[in-house]
Amino acid sequence: MSQRARASLSPALWLTVPVNMPTLDAPEERLRKFKYRGKDASMRRQQRMAVSLELRKAKKDEQALKRRNITNVSSDPASEQLTKGVSLNLQEIINGVNASDPDLCFQATQAARKMLSRERNPPLKLIVEAGLIPRLVEFLKSSLHPCLQFEAAWALTNIASGTSEQTQAVVESGAIQPLVELLSSPHMTVCEQAVWALGNIAGDGPEFRDLVISSNAIPHLLALVSSTIPITFLRNITWTLSNLCRNKSPYPCKKAVKQMLPVLFHLLQHEDGEVLSDTCWALSYLSDGCNERIGQVVDTGVLPRLVQLMTSSELNILTPSLRTVGNIVTGTDHQTQVAIDAGILNVLPQLLMHPRSSIQKEAAWALSNVAAGPCQHIQQLIACGTLPPLVALLKNGEFKVQKEAVWTVANFTTGGTIDQLIQLVHSGVLEPLVNLLTIQDPKIVTIILDVISLILKAAEKLSEKENMCLLIEEIGGVDKIEALQLHENPQVALTALNIIENHFCEGEENGTILPALDQDCEYLNHLTKNYQGPTTSKPRTTP
Amino acid sequence: MVGSMAMELSDANLQTLTEYLKKTLDPDPAIRRPAEKFLESVEGNQNYPLLLLTLLEKSQDNVIKVCASVTFKNYIKRNWRIVEDEPNKICEADRVAIKANIVHLMLSSPEQIQKQLSDAISIIGREDFPQKWPDLLTEMVNRFQSGDFHVINGVLRTAHSLFKRYRHEFKSNELWTEIKLVLDAFALPLTNLFKATIELCSTHANDASALRILFSSLILISKLFYSLNFQDLPEFFEDNMETWMNNFHTLLTLDNKLLQTDDEEEAGLLELLKSQICDNAALYAQKYDEEFQRYLPRFVTAIWNLLVTTGQEVKYDLLVSNAIQFLASVCERPHYKNLFEDQNTLTSICEKVIVPNMEFRAADEEAFEDNSEEYIRRDLEGSDIDTRRRAACDLVRGLCKFFEGPVTGIFSGYVNSMLQEYAKNPSVNWKHKDAAIYLVTSLASKAQTQKHGITQANELVNLTEFFVNHILPDLKSANVNEFPVLKADGIKYIMIFRNQVPKEHLLVSIPLLINHLQAESIVVHTYAAHALERLFTMRGPNNATLFTAAEIAPFVEILLTNLFKALTLPGSSENEYIMKAIMRSFSLLQEAIIPYIPTLITQLTQKLLAVSKNPSKPHFNHYMFEAICLSIRITCKANPAAVVNFEEALFLVFTEILQNDVQEFIPYVFQVMSLLLETHKNDIPSSYMALFPHLLQPVLWERTGNIPALVRLLQAFLERGSNTIASAAADKIPGLLGVFQKLIASKANDHQGFYLLNSIIEHMPPESVDQYRKQIFILLFQRLQNSKTTKFIKSFLVFINLYCIKYGALALQEIFDGIQPKMFGMVLEKIIIPEIQKVSGNVEKKICAVGITKLLTECPPMMDTEYTKLWTPLLQSLIGLFELPEDDTIPDEEHFIDIEDTPGYQTAFSQLAFAGKKEHDPVGQMVNNPKIHLAQSLHKLSTACPGRVPSMVSTSLNAEALQYLQGYLQAASVTLL
Repeated sequence: MSQRARASLSPALWLTVPVNMPTLDAPEERLRKFKYRGKDASMRRQQRMAVSLELRKAKKDEQALKRRNITNVSSDPASEQLTKGVSLNLQEIINGVNASDPDLCFQATQAARKMLSRERNPPLKLIVEAGLIPRLVEFLKSSLHPCLQFEAAWALTNIASGTSEQTQAVVESGAIQPLVELLSSPHMTVCEQAVWALGNIAGDGPEFRDLVISSNAIPHLLALVSSTIPITFLRNITWTLSNLCRNKSPYPCKKAVKQMLPVLFHLLQHEDGEVLSDTCWALSYLSDGCNERIGQVVDTGVLPRLVQLMTSSELNILTPSLRTVGNIVTGTDHQTQVAIDAGILNVLPQLLMHPRSSIQKEAAWALSNVAAGPCQHIQQLIACGTLPPLVALLKNGEFKVQKEAVWTVANFTTGGTIDQLIQLVHSGVLEPLVNLLTIQDPKIVTIILDVISLILKAAEKLSEKENMCLLIEEIGGVDKIEALQLHENPQVALTALNIIENHFCEGEENGTILPALDQDCEYLNHLTKNYQGPTTSKPRTTP
Repeated sequence: MVGSMAMELSDANLQTLTEYLKKTLDPDPAIRRPAEKFLESVEGNQNYPLLLLTLLEKSQDNVIKVCASVTFKNYIKRNWRIVEDEPNKICEADRVAIKANIVHLMLSSPEQIQKQLSDAISIIGREDFPQKWPDLLTEMVNRFQSGDFHVINGVLRTAHSLFKRYRHEFKSNELWTEIKLVLDAFALPLTNLFKATIELCSTHANDASALRILFSSLILISKLFYSLNFQDLPEFFEDNMETWMNNFHTLLTLDNKLLQTDDEEEAGLLELLKSQICDNAALYAQKYDEEFQRYLPRFVTAIWNLLVTTGQEVKYDLLVSNAIQFLASVCERPHYKNLFEDQNTLTSICEKVIVPNMEFRAADEEAFEDNSEEYIRRDLEGSDIDTRRRAACDLVRGLCKFFEGPVTGIFSGYVNSMLQEYAKNPSVNWKHKDAAIYLVTSLASKAQTQKHGITQANELVNLTEFFVNHILPDLKSANVNEFPVLKADGIKYIMIFRNQVPKEHLLVSIPLLINHLQAESIVVHTYAAHALERLFTMRGPNNATLFTAAEIAPFVEILLTNLFKALTLPGSSENEYIMKAIMRSFSLLQEAIIPYIPTLITQLTQKLLAVSKNPSKPHFNHYMFEAICLSIRITCKANPAAVVNFEEALFLVFTEILQNDVQEFIPYVFQVMSLLLETHKNDIPSSYMALFPHLLQPVLWERTGNIPALVRLLQAFLERGSNTIASAAADKIPGLLGVFQKLIASKANDHQGFYLLNSIIEHMPPESVDQYRKQIFILLFQRLQNSKTTKFIKSFLVFINLYCIKYGALALQEIFDGIQPKMFGMVLEKIIIPEIQKVSGNVEKKICAVGITKLLTECPPMMDTEYTKLWTPLLQSLIGLFELPEDDTIPDEEHFIDIEDTPGYQTAFSQLAFAGKKEHDPVGQMVNNPKIHLAQSLHKLSTACPGRVPSMVSTSLNAEALQYLQGYLQAASVTLL
């Protein structure tokens, strides 16, 4: 069975790259070999390595990549006077910006900034095409005129909030270095605006993010964090930090991560919702990777607080904290154990019943990865009462949630002991699972068929096969599996065929009374091609 | 033109090709076959496909055009794919030329040819699209602008054949990249085309022929929508959901007299479009619920109205069943419950949607009479997935999830009123009773299994009362041919509710069922046979059959008579249900049938002779052979000497089957012969010996379906007649080994080769095979070197241990080391010790245990040569074999093994259950408990060389294994000295 622990929720690809697992000592390894029927334990957790491919619209609950500053700064007395600038047209702005008189420059820059800050249709394109960026970058360096620096930084912030090309124009004009320098400006508003601008640049993607990092922005950013700064400033810093953690291929370098993690740990203890949200997002990015990266996050000791935040009623805190913990349980058994010790399994049952289907989905996904662990983890999963809400989701969840729930059951079935399988079956998992066989998703259908086949094999070992077959037939499973023998996807068809052949062909005291069918030969040959051994394949014709 | 690497695009070649194409249409195989052969021989030449394309475009003869297009499509199908390590079968220039021209050619061809070329494009597309055919999409999309709907439909059809695989393939990086590319290029133009087409439909609302073309486009567009939206909800379609869903909704409610067809059977364009839209809506409702939620109630209403207003004609069947399935899938989702919960709504669904679709229609009546096979398959075997009745049942089940009480209430009212209608005037109103029974059988069954029928019923009616009051009277009526549909319903009721109806009532119905075997209606006598067969397989307490032979005994004669008579009724001469009932009756009645055997076997042989002329019903044939086997077993169990009578009766037909090479039956014949031969207690009869040389003919072994049966038969020969073979047919031994050699060369059949080899080793006098022994081992080593598989190793291990038991441990060591010095050590180290855990099967494990015990205790070189270091590891692995779970892992590279010896299709082998072979244990009584045997053997060894065994055991055996070993020693009450 395809097993997985997965690194992200997006409907992307789960590559089967095995992740290093701690070496097991010999007897245990032997045991595992038997239990997983040849599948190495490490295969049970797989990581997503490729860039994810999306057909869907970007998700609404995700964190913003770039933000334009459109708020009024009237609250800041230092800028109060600045807002009384004059309104100019584009040509006047161009002239003013290129003038040598700092006052003219200031007025023109402010006018430009205002245009860029208006709520509707800011003329980003026009300003870029007018060639203003190089001058604005120059203004960043005029330390004698902090108001000009502020306006320029703001204007650049908003330009950088645009398309990738627009952000690129800002970067190529050399804005990063002066912006980083502004992080040490004695004027807090200037400083804050520089933080914001850098956030937008870093948010564009890994390349610019790394440029910001290599410009040594991190130590300066971290130095700004203190309990005395206004909360809005702290929010901006947190958001920019989160963008510095964001994106993979490549990930931010380990050194940078190491620098940021203690501060993120500190920010995670904060009370402010936005700070918490962005901190959690930052951690979710850092934990979305290989076990080593997950390890870095886990070692910071953030798990107990994260689990606590998973009970938050604020969706913007709950979502990223759940995502982070979900990422962590894609890690090693040990890392998952730390998450379990922090109480993740006490929280998941509630989240499985959360009114938002996106939360149900994330929770089910996290659970699926706990279920991919050793049977001790599965035992805890049962003990914490996750099975009833899981079954409820299989029954009534939205499709995307059901899908995760199916994965959970699949991992559970492959890794669980016989006793645990019995408990799974007793929880009523089979009926909703069988009903899902009509779902329009061949992968999920195959997984369900694999689950059924594993359950039947377990029943066989307990000499309960006949009852199990009856149960499956009663809930309409046999009809559905039979119909799947004609599925256009050959793997679905073959899996269905094997189940029917091995478990539902009419039994006799001494074997099966059924001829091998010699119709549909092309179909059968096709199926038997990948089928090992001398058995003759035959679709079940009902007696 | 033969032999040249490139064929010129000349008129002469076109002419030649035309001639040959014409000949491939000739009904006379003597003309047709050579022409086909010829075409195949030249298809590797450059320009061949281009010649075909030229012909299908320019030939004057329409037949040749079509023929060329079909030939072209098949050529593409066979050759386009480039298989790794195989030569490219189409030269690059031809590939480029085909891709450059085919879209245009397809679009400008008449429909018949367009279809072929469209298929060809999709085959090419499967390989080349998108990477190696980057401009295909743009080329297609550009045609949307043409305004010519013949062209547009060609594009749409091709797009559909290219994209429909998105509906069933697994998600993969590659697939999604392709879909993304398609969406970027195709989604917007398709949407625009959709809107434009709908507008055109209203402009041309009065032009029937234009409408037909436009509606064909809409159907294709709707299908494309389904394919493109299958894997996930694409951003584009989410953004444009409004457009699509509003239009789908409008189309669903649209009607146009001009598009209505008179045909009652074939679905018209309107029906096809609407049913695809139902599928689209169902897809969204199922997978993209969150995004689709706000559209859904409108669709529920529209689809419901559609159902209420759609007629009973067959042409609406697909639409109706899709529409009902949509409602069924929606009504069981908790957040749509409110759409259905109103009592009036429920009543109206039951009255107007469910009941009408459960009615027995004229078409059903027709099928019942004229196409009974199809009727039975649908009604009995559940191949009714797309039928209205099935959909209606599914809807009932869906509604019962939340509204079981009200739904049951509504329907029990219906059942009663329909039964009353029937009672007023049965001969006119019998269909009302049919509907009532159908409602009961489908609604009362909450859970149903083939083996036990209904296992849970709801409270709609009292099933036993209904049986007594409404079912039994019909079956008791003297005229078995009256109201055949109701008779069939009644019999089906017994089948379905056989677990609910008490046994005494079932017993009452048995003679009635036997009586109905004589009904003229195929459905009725088939159901009667099937019901009897089902009842005879029912299990009571202690897993014994519910009905004992004694309980059926009063009816034996009439049962058997009627069953065989039923086979003479028109349309039922090869009725598999009847034959299965015959088999089952034999199996239940056992000795009670012995008095009738002479007649029975005569009738069976006659039947066999008749069907062997043209075997066409595999199930029928299979049960017939099972019945023959049962007759033999039952009779010979009581009187082994009777085997001669069977041989007398059967051999004549068997000879004919073998002589006429009736491929389907040959494996069966060998199985029956094995059974007969094994029944002989003494030496092998000469009649069999005469056959022996023929069994070794290579041609018989070419067919994979023969192999298991032939091996089984040869094993029977070896078991019963090894001495006869050694003395009278020693010259055949090389042939026997030739068979072995052929079998072990194949990954699929090597285990069969080992079965044969093991029988030779076990039964043949050693001196008769002495000269071949070394060669046998060399062959096995060659196979090990060339292609080692787990299955082969398992069989190999069993064989060498059997050899060790039979010829002694020393002989085994000597034969290995005789092939190559130190070979024995290598086999121990590289194969036996690491792989023994893989051996499966109790007898196989026992053979290995005893064999290894011999190696450990009866092989001097194991004690005092360099092999000694392997002694403890070997012991450890033997203890592992006893104690550890079987290692059923299979190396990854073995998961996909082609069955290389089965080119094309051949008759498959079907095992006859009642010809079954007893498991044979060659070790048998010699060793009862292999663990005790090991302990005793070790003890014996230790007495021969005191001190050595305990020291070898204690120094390097691991602690756990040592503990187990001590357990064996204790159990055997011995100690190691």
